[in-house]
Amino acid sequence: MTSERISPTRFVLWRQYGREMSVGVFLLLLLGYFGTTPGFLQTDNLRDILINAAPLVIAACGMTMVIIAGMIDISAGSALAVCAVVAGLTARSGASLPLVILMPMLAGAVIGAVNGWLVAFVRIPAIIVTLGMMSVLRGGIIWWTRGEWIGNLPPSFSAVGRGEIAGIPLPVWIAFGIVLATALLLARTPLGRHIYAVGGNPVAATRMGIPVRRVLWLVFTLHGMLLGLSALVYASRFSVIQSNAGAGFELLAISAVVVGGVNIFGGQGTVWGSAIAGLLLQVISTGLIFRRVSEYWAPSVQGALVLLAVVADALRTRRARP
Amino acid sequence: MRKAFPIILSLAGVMLLLIACGKKQAGSGATGTGAKLVVAVMPKLKGIDYFNAVERGAREAAQELGDIDLTHDGPTEGKVDQQIPFIESWTLQKVDVIAVACNDPDAISPALKRARDKGVHVITYDADANAEKSGREFFVNQATFEDIGRALVDEMASQAGEDAKVAIVSSSPTAPNQNAWIAVMKRYMAEKYPKMQIVTIQYPEEDQGRAFSMTQDILKTYPDVKGVFGLSSVAFPGAADAVRQAGKSGKVAVVGLSTPKSMKEFVKDGTVKTVILWNPVDLGYLTVYVAKAVAEGKLKPGATEFEAGRLGKVKVEGDQVLLGPPMKFTAENIDQYDF
Repeated sequence: MTSERISPTRFVLWRQYGREMSVGVFLLLLLGYFGTTPGFLQTDNLRDILINAAPLVIAACGMTMVIIAGMIDISAGSALAVCAVVAGLTARSGASLPLVILMPMLAGAVIGAVNGWLVAFVRIPAIIVTLGMMSVLRGGIIWWTRGEWIGNLPPSFSAVGRGEIAGIPLPVWIAFGIVLATALLLARTPLGRHIYAVGGNPVAATRMGIPVRRVLWLVFTLHGMLLGLSALVYASRFSVIQSNAGAGFELLAISAVVVGGVNIFGGQGTVWGSAIAGLLLQVISTGLIFRRVSEYWAPSVQGALVLLAVVADALRTRRARP
Repeated sequence: MRKAFPIILSLAGVMLLLIACGKKQAGSGATGTGAKLVVAVMPKLKGIDYFNAVERGAREAAQELGDIDLTHDGPTEGKVDQQIPFIESWTLQKVDVIAVACNDPDAISPALKRARDKGVHVITYDADANAEKSGREFFVNQATFEDIGRALVDEMASQAGEDAKVAIVSSSPTAPNQNAWIAVMKRYMAEKYPKMQIVTIQYPEEDQGRAFSMTQDILKTYPDVKGVFGLSSVAFPGAADAVRQAGKSGKVAVVGLSTPKSMKEFVKDGTVKTVILWNPVDLGYLTVYVAKAVAEGKLKPGATEFEAGRLGKVKVEGDQVLLGPPMKFTAENIDQYDF
C-alpha cells in the first residue's frame, strides 16, 4: 500500500489523491470566484480565514483517524467546550505556558480515552457512546461553570491564538504541523496501517493479529488530545471564553472529513483531503458574507457548495473507472 | 449497584420532603406570631448569577415589606419537569403566593392551574406561562420588545451618529426574541432615524467563534460600517472581540444585550460603551411587591399603575406589570453588578 502511494508517476498520483485534488481544485475555483469581490484576496482577509479555519482543521485531523478506523465521534463539540474552559481556567490560575498547553490536551485525551474504552473494550457502538458523552459533557460544563464565561485571561494566553512566527500566525503553524504529523502517522507507521486495516475490515484485521481494540482505544485518545489542542487554539483567540462553545462543531468536523474524501464507513481517505475541505468550509462562509448573499440563503448556499464539491468528485471517479 | 440506586433515589426524595417540611414549619411558626404572607419564588434554575441577583432583590423587598415569609427554591437545571414538583409541594403546603420564572410556558401550566384551584395565588416573572391554561394572575415583564429595541437604536444613534450604517449580529434566524427586537428596531429606525441603514444581519447561532468571524467579515465587506449590534449574550462579546482585534475600538460602536459581567472587559477598554439589559435585582424586588399586592387583592386586572417601593410607580398593561425601560451599564457603574 505504502509503496504504491509514493510511486512518482502522475497518473498514480491522480488516482491515489484524486479526491483531495478535486477538492483542492474546487477550493481554488472558489477563491477565484470570491476573489473578484474587493478585499477578499487581501492578505488580511486570507490570514483571518486561515486562523479561523485552524481549530477546525486540527480537529478534522483527529476525526479523520476516527472515521478511517470505522468509528464516529459526535461528542467533539462538547469536548471542545470542556477543553476550552480547562485551557482558560489553567491560564487564569497563573500557570506557566507549557502547562496551559498541556492541560486542555490532557483533558481531551481523558475524554477520548473514556470514549475509546467504552467503544473498544465494553463494545458499545461509537455513535451511542459519543451521543451519551455529548450530553454528559454539555450538562457537566454548564454545572461546572454555571454558564459563566471565562474572562480575565492573562496576555500570555492570547500569545497562542494571536502570536506569529516568521510573519505567519501561530495557529496556522500548529494546524499545518498537526496535518503533516497525522499524514505521516497514517501513511508511514504501523499504527497508521493498522487504523486503515481496522476500519477496512475489522474481522480480517483481527485474524491478521492486529490488536484491534488497542488501536481503536488509541485512535480515540489521540483524537481527544487533538481536540484539546484545537480548543486551545480556538479559545486563545478570544478575550473571554464561552463556557458553552462549539455547538455544532462536531458536524463541521465530520463534514470536513467526509467532503475531503474519507469513506464514512472507514478504511479509506487521507488527512490532506480533510484539511483542504476544512479550509473550503471556512472560505465558503467568509466568501458568502463578502458576496453579500442574503443571510437567509447563506446556509443553503453553503450546503449546496459542499454538495457540488462532492458531486464533482463523483463524476470524476465515474469517468476514471474503466 | 443496581439495587442501591432506587434506595438512594428514594432517600433523596425523603430528604427533599423533609427539607420542604422544615421550611414550611418555619413558615407556619411565623404565621402564628404575625400572620405573615408566605411567598414562594422559583427561578428557572438555581445557582446562576442572573437568578442569584433576582433572589437578592426579592429578599430586599421581603425585608422592606416586613410581613413576608419568603421561600426561594427551584431546580438546579433549567428544566420544566423539575419545576413542577416544587409547585405541587408548595400547593400542598398552601403557601399564599407562588411566583415562577417558567422554563416552558405550556408544560408548567397544568400544575399552576391546580395551585390556582386550591386557592393559591400565582404570578410569573422573567418568562411567562400560558396565561389562559395556567390561570396565572399577573406576569412581571422585565422589558418589552418595544423598549429594548428602541433603547438599542437610540444608543447606537448617539454613539455612531443618526446616519450610521450598521450591521446586526443576531442569534439563530428563528430565535423569537431576537426577531421581535429586530422588527422593532427596523420600524423605530425608519420613524426616528430614517438615514440610519442596516447593511446586513448575520446569524451566528449560539456560537462565539462564528459571531467573531462573521463580525470580522462584516468589517471588511462593509468598510463604512459605523456600528454593530450584538443581540445575544453570545453575539455581543463575539462582535466586541472582533472589533477590538481589528483595532477599531472607538471607531466602530458595538451596542447590544448581555449581562454586565460578561462584557466587563470590553467596557473597561472602551470597545463597548454601553451594555443594555434590565436589572435582575429590580425584577426580583418588583416580583415580591406584586406578589403581596395580588394576595391582598390590591392589584387587580384593569389597573394601569402600581406603586412598588423604591421603584416608584410602574406601568401595568393588561395582565402584565412592566419593570420599565431597560438599564444601561457603563464604565462608571458596571463594577457594582455581579451578574
